[in-house]
Amino acid sequence: MVRQLSIGIVGNWDPKRASHIATNEALGHAADALAVALDISWLPTRALDDAGSASLLQACDALWCAPGSPYESMAGALRAIRFARERNRPFLGT
Amino acid sequence: MLGLNGAAHEETAPDAPQLVISRLACSLAGQRQAVQVVPGTRAHQAYGRERVIEAFRCHYGLNPAYREVLTMGPLKVTGVDTEGEVRIVELPDHRFFLTTLYVPQLSSSAEAPHPLTRAYLEAAVVFRAARQEREGR
Repeated sequence: MVRQLSIGIVGNWDPKRASHIATNEALGHAADALAVALDISWLPTRALDDAGSASLLQACDALWCAPGSPYESMAGALRAIRFARERNRPFLGT
Repeated sequence: MLGLNGAAHEETAPDAPQLVISRLACSLAGQRQAVQVVPGTRAHQAYGRERVIEAFRCHYGLNPAYREVLTMGPLKVTGVDTEGEVRIVELPDHRFFLTTLYVPQLSSSAEAPHPLTRAYLEAAVVFRAARQEREGR
């Protein structure tokens, strides 16, 4: 029985950006409907731009690329997307 | 993945030779627009219908010149606007890999969670269950 999910959001959290706030809220709406708890981590793209980031990504049950271009590190964002694609992790890009 | 080694985004590399992501002819920022969802796709399964209205925030999108090459591999176009421009792409062979040009989270509420977010978390539950099984916890 799954009661908790770790969700990694690729992007630099900006509390002034409506789409970022909406991302957390939309996850909360769906989690409530499914009766699961979420552990949401925003993953700054610079923290993802080298191979050492694999453990950060590995910890996530699913990855979501947040709105708001350009990313601080395009390489970091692309690394996360590639991880999701190659490791068959649920992925949403919006 | 497709041999487009110079693939670039016009916002960050305006002079690059392979602008796969380019400025939209007219910005969609702040607009709500209809999206036609291709039947039989993950997006369609999630929405349960073929026409949805979604909120856009973007100034950039897929350069139509690259649509053919980008969809020669596993990536498929599964949602378009009324003019046929790409709005959703997904990897059908992946457990859940979907991206939108719009911002679905802007039209989610506690009473009506967005169908894509819900489908995404459902896929995450399946992944987590398999992982727990594998790791014995």
